[in-house]
Amino acid sequence: MRRFLASIFALGTLTAACHAARAADTLSPLHFQSQGPLGTIDKAAAQRGYRVFESVCAGCHAVGQVHYRDLEALGLTPDQAAGEAVAAGGNLGSPLKGAAPMNMGGAIPPDLSSIAAQRHGGARYIYDFLTGFAPAPAGTTLLPGHYYNTAFPGGETAMPPVLRDNAVTYADGTPATSAQEAADLAEFLTWTADPNLDARHQIGFRAIIFFAFLAIIAIASKRRVWSAQI
Amino acid sequence: MTTHVKDSWMSTRLPCLGGICATYFQKNRAANAPYFAALPFLIAMAAAFLTLSGAVLAVYYNPWHAFDSVQFIDRNVNNGWLIRTYHATGTTMIFGVTYLYLFRSLLRRAYRAPGEFVWMLSVKLLAVLMLTGWLGYVLTGGAAGYWSLFNAANAALSMGGLPGAVGLWFFGGPAGGDTLARLEVFHALLAVALLLVVWLLHASRRAIAAPVASGKGVAFYPYYLAQYFAALAVFALVFVVLAFYAPHLGTSHMNQLPAESLAVPLGGGVPWYLAPAAGMLGVFPGSGLSIVAAIAAIVVLYALPWLDRSGRAGRCGKLYGFFTWVLALDVIGLGYAANSSSGAAPTLAGVFTAWYFFHFLVLTPVVTAMEAE
Ligand code: HEC
Repeated sequence: MRRFLASIFALGTLTAACHAARAADTLSPLHFQSQGPLGTIDKAAAQRGYRVFESVCAGCHAVGQVHYRDLEALGLTPDQAAGEAVAAGGNLGSPLKGAAPMNMGGAIPPDLSSIAAQRHGGARYIYDFLTGFAPAPAGTTLLPGHYYNTAFPGGETAMPPVLRDNAVTYADGTPATSAQEAADLAEFLTWTADPNLDARHQIGFRAIIFFAFLAIIAIASKRRVWSAQI
Repeated sequence: MTTHVKDSWMSTRLPCLGGICATYFQKNRAANAPYFAALPFLIAMAAAFLTLSGAVLAVYYNPWHAFDSVQFIDRNVNNGWLIRTYHATGTTMIFGVTYLYLFRSLLRRAYRAPGEFVWMLSVKLLAVLMLTGWLGYVLTGGAAGYWSLFNAANAALSMGGLPGAVGLWFFGGPAGGDTLARLEVFHALLAVALLLVVWLLHASRRAIAAPVASGKGVAFYPYYLAQYFAALAVFALVFVVLAFYAPHLGTSHMNQLPAESLAVPLGGGVPWYLAPAAGMLGVFPGSGLSIVAAIAAIVVLYALPWLDRSGRAGRCGKLYGFFTWVLALDVIGLGYAANSSSGAAPTLAGVFTAWYFFHFLVLTPVVTAMEAE
């Protein structure tokens, strides 16, 4: 709530900042355009995130609740979306399915459609998880088939570290560092978990203005009616 | 508009409707009323709103694929996400105003004669609302709701005898599509029951309203209409802030996971409005005793008009008012304990539950009798 009020006051600066953010750098400092009460999905980042997902993550994970046609909401043209679908052996109505469910070290790669809503911290957690792989500190013994990760609860996960620098080449020229890839994936997965985020914030903003005025007018008219009494 | 029931066009054609309309023009209401007196009206509005949004959701909901059908509503039904947000946030709002209303009744000791009947209806309102809210939470098919249902159904089925038979009739089985299909029907039926209770509550509140000296009263129209409208506008403002900027307020990440996952969530995961009750039930995990505790918690509320020994017009002391505030904190504490994973949580829940019953069964009769003297 406080964050909300603060950003209402900072509305002007914030919208300006949003435009600046679209120009690229989301890493220094790390921020996600989708976060905060007036946030909107950073479509450029989410598109890059999709690119990483499709080339790196889809081997293990599905985003089964999202269809190729939905990618048009990220700014892909219908032809581009259809191209993505055909390349994956489906059509516009197919879900973004990954490989068949597999068992890795006792864990099954979860469907990532709603992962940002299912984990505390959402986008930030996903970023921390993807960048949290590190050599295990001396003295830790990991379970077989597990990897040390500073963000994962318990410190060891069955997912191997798969992100590396230049795992993909970004069409918009953004340098594909592994941190950048992680941040873009976080934005993409924020969108898949909440595809209506932009509309929600936009409608909400208008609705608040409307009802704030309505409340003021209603209270004023109530006072008038009651003061004219008897 | 005419205020004479006898001559109005409508009253000659549909006398009862004419009569209802006429009550809104009779100058028999108090000439001042705090905004808080509009809380039951807001409860009624929220209940109607929930019934309507729920009716839309019911069209697309599929108990055999509960979680997926909710995802479908959120992602593929036109404006489905809006309706679902409305339903979820509407629930938060109706519980908010109901808890406020009950707390205000406690503080003002509105439950004393002649308000006992109104109070008993208010407690029924809370009970029906809780049950409806819990069923709704279970219907989402999320992991937390699934395990909550699983535990509740098993506790009910394990009781044997008549309670067990009622449990079997209600749940039909421990969990799964057939159970959810039943619970969907109960959820909808209870919503209708809720509307009925709200209506009775209004009627009984009107019946005990203090009489107004003739010439000193005002009519519903336009005075109370203006006030209710203002209250509704503020209510709507809070609603849209929550619905659009905090749609998951007070609910658990756990329930965003599909119930199919084999892992049992580590306790908690209850929405805020059920948390105090869950905290109390958690003191007696997975046994018929927890259901007894739930019923006992409602019964002591119900019995409050008789537990309060200050009598119809007895003095209301400050000390009991203070304890009422402590009770509110106690209930909030129960809610926190229910969703906390800290090791001290079960002990705290036990202490808070004990205090709840201590408040009603010991403090209330003793302190009110003392202060009334
Ligand atoms: C080699 C297969 C594999 C690949 C490739 C892979 N993952 Fe995973 N992922 C897993 C497994 C297995 C788990 C389950 C880990 C566990 O529960 O210990 C997992 C879990 C996750 C989780 C959930 C972590 C949590 O908190 O439970 C996220 C988020 C995730 N992966 C994201 C990604 C992203 C993004 C990519 C692409 C960069 C990716 N994964 C690539 C196998 C993979």
